[in-house]
Amino acid sequence: MALPAAAIEQAIDWEVGEQQVGLWGDAWTRFRRNRLALIGLAIVLALIVVAVASPLLIRMGLLPDPFTQHVDTIEVGPGIGGHVFGTDVLGRDALSRLLIGSQVSLTVGILVQGIIFPIGLTIGLCAGYLGGRVDNLLMRFTDIWYAFPDLLFVLVVVSVWHVQGAWFVQLIPIFGAIALTSWVNLARLVRGQVLSIKEKEFVEAARSSGTPPFKIITRHLLPNSLGPIIVTLTFGIPQAIFLEAVLSFLGVGIQPPQPTWGQMVNDGYEAIYANPTAVVFPALAIGFTLLAFSFIGDGLRDALDPRMRK
Amino acid sequence: MHGRTSIRAVTLAMTGLFVVSACSAGGGPSQGTLAPPEKQILNVNDGTEPNSYDPTQQTYTYEAGVGREVFETLLKPNAQLTDVQPAAAEKFDISSDGLTYTFHLRSNAQWSDGKPVTASDWVYGFKHLLNPALGAGYVDPFFDTTIAGGADYGNVDVSSASAIDNYLNGLGLSAPDDHTFVIRLAHPAAFFKWVVTLWVAAPIRKDIVEQAAGGPFPSNDTTKPVQWANNASTIVGNGPYKISEIVSKDHATLVPNTHYWGGAPHLQKIVEWFIADANTAYAKYLTGDLDQLTVPLTNVDVVRTDPKLSKEAQIFPRLSTFYMAINAQRPPLDNPKVRMAFAKSIDRDKLAKQVQHGIQQAIMSYIPKGMPGYDTSDTAQSYDPAAAKKLLQDAGVNPAQLNKFTLLTRNTTRNKTINQFLVDQWNNNLGLNLQLEVVDSKTVTSRIRKGQFDIYGPDGWGADYPDQQDWFDVFFKGSCHTLNWGCPILPGYDDLVTKADSELDQSQRNKDYATAQRMLIDQAGVAFLYQDYEYDLIKPYVKGLTITPDDDQSLPGNFFWHDAYIVQH
Amino acid sequence: MTARRPGPGASLTERITAAGGSRVVSLTIYVLRRLLWMIPVVFFVIVITFVLMHLAPGSPWDRTSGRPLSPVVAEALDKKYGLNKPVFEQFLLYVSNVVHFDFGLSYQYQGKTVTSLIGEGWPYTATIGFLAFCLIAPFGIGLGVLAALRQNTRLDYALMGFATFAASFPNFVIGALMVVLFSVLMYKATGGNFYLPAGGFDLDDHLIMPVITLALLPIAFTARLTRASTLETIRQDFVRTAWAKGLTERLVVVRHILKNSLIPVVTTLGPTFAILITGSVIVETVFSIPGIGRAFVVAVTSRDYPMLLGTTVLFSVVIAVANLVVDILYVAIDPRVRVS
Repeated sequence: MALPAAAIEQAIDWEVGEQQVGLWGDAWTRFRRNRLALIGLAIVLALIVVAVASPLLIRMGLLPDPFTQHVDTIEVGPGIGGHVFGTDVLGRDALSRLLIGSQVSLTVGILVQGIIFPIGLTIGLCAGYLGGRVDNLLMRFTDIWYAFPDLLFVLVVVSVWHVQGAWFVQLIPIFGAIALTSWVNLARLVRGQVLSIKEKEFVEAARSSGTPPFKIITRHLLPNSLGPIIVTLTFGIPQAIFLEAVLSFLGVGIQPPQPTWGQMVNDGYEAIYANPTAVVFPALAIGFTLLAFSFIGDGLRDALDPRMRK
Repeated sequence: MHGRTSIRAVTLAMTGLFVVSACSAGGGPSQGTLAPPEKQILNVNDGTEPNSYDPTQQTYTYEAGVGREVFETLLKPNAQLTDVQPAAAEKFDISSDGLTYTFHLRSNAQWSDGKPVTASDWVYGFKHLLNPALGAGYVDPFFDTTIAGGADYGNVDVSSASAIDNYLNGLGLSAPDDHTFVIRLAHPAAFFKWVVTLWVAAPIRKDIVEQAAGGPFPSNDTTKPVQWANNASTIVGNGPYKISEIVSKDHATLVPNTHYWGGAPHLQKIVEWFIADANTAYAKYLTGDLDQLTVPLTNVDVVRTDPKLSKEAQIFPRLSTFYMAINAQRPPLDNPKVRMAFAKSIDRDKLAKQVQHGIQQAIMSYIPKGMPGYDTSDTAQSYDPAAAKKLLQDAGVNPAQLNKFTLLTRNTTRNKTINQFLVDQWNNNLGLNLQLEVVDSKTVTSRIRKGQFDIYGPDGWGADYPDQQDWFDVFFKGSCHTLNWGCPILPGYDDLVTKADSELDQSQRNKDYATAQRMLIDQAGVAFLYQDYEYDLIKPYVKGLTITPDDDQSLPGNFFWHDAYIVQH
Repeated sequence: MTARRPGPGASLTERITAAGGSRVVSLTIYVLRRLLWMIPVVFFVIVITFVLMHLAPGSPWDRTSGRPLSPVVAEALDKKYGLNKPVFEQFLLYVSNVVHFDFGLSYQYQGKTVTSLIGEGWPYTATIGFLAFCLIAPFGIGLGVLAALRQNTRLDYALMGFATFAASFPNFVIGALMVVLFSVLMYKATGGNFYLPAGGFDLDDHLIMPVITLALLPIAFTARLTRASTLETIRQDFVRTAWAKGLTERLVVVRHILKNSLIPVVTTLGPTFAILITGSVIVETVFSIPGIGRAFVVAVTSRDYPMLLGTTVLFSVVIAVANLVVDILYVAIDPRVRVS
């Protein structure tokens, strides 16, 4: 059945047009209605408050100093010697270290995704949409990037780029190292999504009706790929936290005695027979962060899903 | 706390008894009924697989763990480490000028394939070790001021087979007859009898090597001479055990060498596992898959408070001391008073008893307990924060001047823990604000060899053999950047130690070395920390062990494993 | 759908198909082309690795523990392995050897070739990796689809909890916890009669804990990804049409949902291979398995240049092949997808 071309175009524009309003306008409304997403948001806000407030609490004396070594009570379990979560290898209070550790770990885990997202997204979109030679070259570039030893790369970067100072200064090369080694997965994921979606009828229709590529990408391809992208980014948070701990072995990590959750898990691993809580508490902290962002991510995807318009 | 100290005292005392009684026992089993042959298996953890099974090419203690059992040296240390005792050589003479060592080999010594061990095997073995083209890691005690003709090692053109042959044939090694092996030295060296106890000085079978290489080969070939060591079947040794199988990176199995001159050992199998992860090894001991284990530091308190495990655990001294190297080429660290201030503001007792869970022993001197020269009379480096602060003032140094320095730290948990403690001590006791600099371990080595550090540690020295020459040569001015990282200036030290090294009168040597030790301590050449001890779990059915402070790491008793046995359990 | 003339950006396969060739032929040519592309990829990897290696501080002879090496001996070793030659000369020598499949001698393990070392360790890593993969594909995809079909029920929450747990504990911790539970505590509880071995490799119950430890995180990630992707597919119109028509759930799932939601999952199966290799580093250390996973990290930390290059080349080939398989799977799942 052949409809007049103009009518078809009109219908598509409506679709597109309505999508535009629906996408951003009532997205926030839908998000607000999702209870789990709100819980996630609340947890994240709480974590940020902890990260910001804990140094103040310590200065006010409400929390023990995480840097003071009490060598009489080394590696004790929770509750002993007035330490709610016990102590570490040098007798430092584990709870305070956990709270202060949120500063570095949240920054690394979350902000790094902010670097990975644009790089991975751009490369994935270009490769998937443009196809042909561009796709081949970009994907072979990705293959090379994937295969060469990032450990070695980090080592060389560190030896050339010395950083001393406060933890947020030390974080700069870490951001670079983690982001540079982690964007590949996202790029391939996005490319795969784009490849499968761009053959669908509604994209064909949009293309043949003369919609510019940029609009096709932002209005059709992107919203339909959001789900997997969000999962990759949320799972990337604990990955980045652990990667910082691994990098600390090479000197790119945060210098002790500044605590980070990843390093606390590593140290706790060695004491797993003596004091298992040393590994469980920081891992739980990481777990809560991941959970919170998973809820938010699910909520975001549901809120932005063009097919969920009610 | 009270309970822990007394347990430690008791175990130390028991160790003393243990060593004495085992020595007097000789070879026969005297405790408990011998288990049947199929149960005479000892499972130990060597930690890492040897990089080579050719003993002359080995350097690390984990390699000695295998090499020492399969090959036997001319002499070996006695159990008290006071002197050497015969091993592959039944006696030896030293000429009156101290330059010629004549070793009389045992006439009943045989290789594991039954052929007799001859003096030419020994000459071939030493030449194999000293071949510059192979670059053996532990060769320097043999050419550096010892064997005649050896000093040119570094100047030989390794691409020329004839140059290498000239060098090797010019060494002071000869075999006048099948059972006499003679070594000539360049200078008198009272410590040389200890050098030949190093497990790398082993005899090698020329025919086996050439067969595995597919025929004779020129001296400048670097791959053919070591091919024989790649297969268990071609590794023929003269020691109490031989290798029956090697599963790469997993384990190596040793079985008795039935042709060993001292009679076959009781143990029918020693399985040396290569388990790198401390938690895994600990779990394996608990499930009975390992019979010996060095307790990981974090589990020490768990073992001490466990009723069963605490009885199986013993603590042994080791011949190694740890200290902090301070770079004397960076002012004001060149001032001995400043270095002494650092040394005197470390609470060593806290470090040893709390941070190290009471395993290590605080020490303020150099030579460790268990070998001659142990002397704790000089307490110049004792913990005294007030005196330390005053020293800084006397030196005219403002604490703020020192805050630009960092403590270069290797990226291991142990080093990070100790150094965080030390920085905390220095910051609190001297009013400083020092930072840690944790760096990849290889990079640390590369930097200290170029002198690119301020303070580095914990560094240590472990005895190659229990003679003081080995220890005091470390701090020669000429060893700056190779062993002596901090390069402190110690007036008169070099001459004194060189004299003691070539002195033949033992009492005079002891006096000279004692003076040298006082120099090191008083000038704070380094800041001494602690002596290393090992806290090991050993299953109660393992008997006949003779444990010395010189044993290879985590392998208690391996110098005398020939006499070990398993009892019924 | 009208037949399209291949325009700009068309794939090679399209052009061949349009010109009348069969699909199988075009696919074969595609595979061959990709295999040829592996050569420049591997070459670039070698170049980059070589440069990085020689820029990294510390030589292979700098001892990190034990007795420091005498500088005289270090020099002798440099000469022995040709490290005193100019870097470019070393590079040319290496590449010309690689063309003959000679990857050189390891610096760390004297007298052993890189090829033999990789050959010895590869079977262990491959066995554990393959078994883990056999768990990841069905469990990851199955759990994810299940959770999506039962969104917001208790099952869904259970899955989300499990995935979070698996991702917030690094696998060496999970491994160690399993050893504590199933080796040590089980040994105590059964008086030494029944327990899982704490480490080592054998084709029996030695495999259980390492494989599960290795597979846990990829299962969690795959499940979450599948769930997200399936949720999107479910909401599409053609699925709603199928429901409306009254097709049984299983039919709908298999015929419509799976096919369309598998694209992102298949994409991650490629990097999953990579995770299996890098994850095996830790699993092999914790469970004391003599595979090559550790070999790579040890090669970097000990600056064993030939081993580093050899394992990197192997890794890049494996990745390239995995990505090729993924791209072919795309086309198999959804014939409309065009890969270049």
